[in-house]
Amino acid sequence: MNSTTFSIAAEAGLPAGAAALAPEASVALSGLSLRYGGQAVLSGLDWVLQPGQVVGLLGRNGAGKTTLLECLLGLREPDAGEVRLFGRSVTQLDDELRARVGYVPQQSDLFEGFTAGQLLAYFRSFYPRWNEAKVEGLMSRWEVPRDRLISKLSGGQQQRLSIIRALAHEPDLLVLDEPVASLDPAGRRDFLRELVERVLDRGTTVVFSTHILSDLERVAFNVAFLKEGSIACQAPLEELLDQVRIAIGSPAELQALQAAHGAQLLRRQPLAPGREQWLLRFARGVPAVALLQPLNLEDLFMELS
Amino acid sequence: MGFDNGCRRNCTPVDKGYVCVLLYWYTILIHAPLSALDLFHINTGSTEPIYRQLVELVRRLVASGQLRAGDEIPSVRELAQGLVVHPMTISKAYGLLEAEGLLERRRGLAMRVAAQHRRAQAPLDRAELLRPSLERAAQEARELELSAAQALALFNEILHAGEPKS
Repeated sequence: MNSTTFSIAAEAGLPAGAAALAPEASVALSGLSLRYGGQAVLSGLDWVLQPGQVVGLLGRNGAGKTTLLECLLGLREPDAGEVRLFGRSVTQLDDELRARVGYVPQQSDLFEGFTAGQLLAYFRSFYPRWNEAKVEGLMSRWEVPRDRLISKLSGGQQQRLSIIRALAHEPDLLVLDEPVASLDPAGRRDFLRELVERVLDRGTTVVFSTHILSDLERVAFNVAFLKEGSIACQAPLEELLDQVRIAIGSPAELQALQAAHGAQLLRRQPLAPGREQWLLRFARGVPAVALLQPLNLEDLFMELS
Repeated sequence: MGFDNGCRRNCTPVDKGYVCVLLYWYTILIHAPLSALDLFHINTGSTEPIYRQLVELVRRLVASGQLRAGDEIPSVRELAQGLVVHPMTISKAYGLLEAEGLLERRRGLAMRVAAQHRRAQAPLDRAELLRPSLERAAQEARELELSAAQALALFNEILHAGEPKS
């Protein structure tokens, strides 16, 4: 099976001219490799996140999303490769730089013997920039009780608290690993609303993994697909929906179609003898050909991850 | 700005009295642009990107007269918050609508539906704009169990009456 990988200029999601100013990338990963129990999880992965980009990280279960995010944050050391945050190596991250990063881990790492109020007071002491008004507002709107032990909070309340903790110091880079997995639809909507109303505005770079594609579609301007240890594709989602099509036919027919329109072959799958399914990207515009079928985000996930 | 959302979320008559509810209706009644928010909706999971759904929605709203020349539309920020969608997606839709002459930008003021279209649309595009109305009409014709000939005759009659359909 031929699966062609491709990558897009990371600044594709930024307004024209922004790239010319060459702002320092918020995140730059190069040649990241990591083996785990004899199996390659990341293999020579390169990934760049520009300031202000909101990127949804997609991948199948076990694709290594959490591992990748942990490496990105310097919580896990790769076997090879380099991680730079705001232009500096993650191995030399000091408190000042650390204070610019917010992280919501997949597994709650909150101290269970604390109350929510105690936890926040504790974290507050580490961060020069801590927006207490924001914390107060979120705690009351999201109905997280301050005085109850964290171990006595529901899974959803713990997750809300974890998000509040990550937003409190108004980070420049926000990393969220399945941030809404234990939230109900109302809780997810509250979280997305907070992102749109008060986080994206600040030009925060956001990367989050989730399997809830409808949420991702709303707020992630860019999507990145993690497959076989590297970023198989990163592009603005609307561009993928506009340009990528599935075609089924004979190899000769499909090849002619591809050549005629300068399409990029993203994936090709044999279906039956003499019959294949091709995933094609028409950067110059999709031709009006009946055999081309559009895809939604779920289809893209199935094809590209 | 965004007041109605906050109100709906935060206040209940029990904890904050009826003031918020009254203010909410006040905002809706007094500020036309806010009520225009209710006209906007999107679908996730579609093969159509959200910006394109919005472009087509505004075209239909204008074609159907729900938005008229001079009507103000929600700001990028208001619509992003109302639909819970990345503001850049809204900007892109508004940009395209402005480029095709449907919306006009005014310095320091809300965008509004253009007073008149500067560029005449190609006949084919214009006919396409009729599609949603005709689809609705076709649906109703089927519900009324009219034959195609009867429906077409009526449409023909209306067209030739020389009066714009209201």
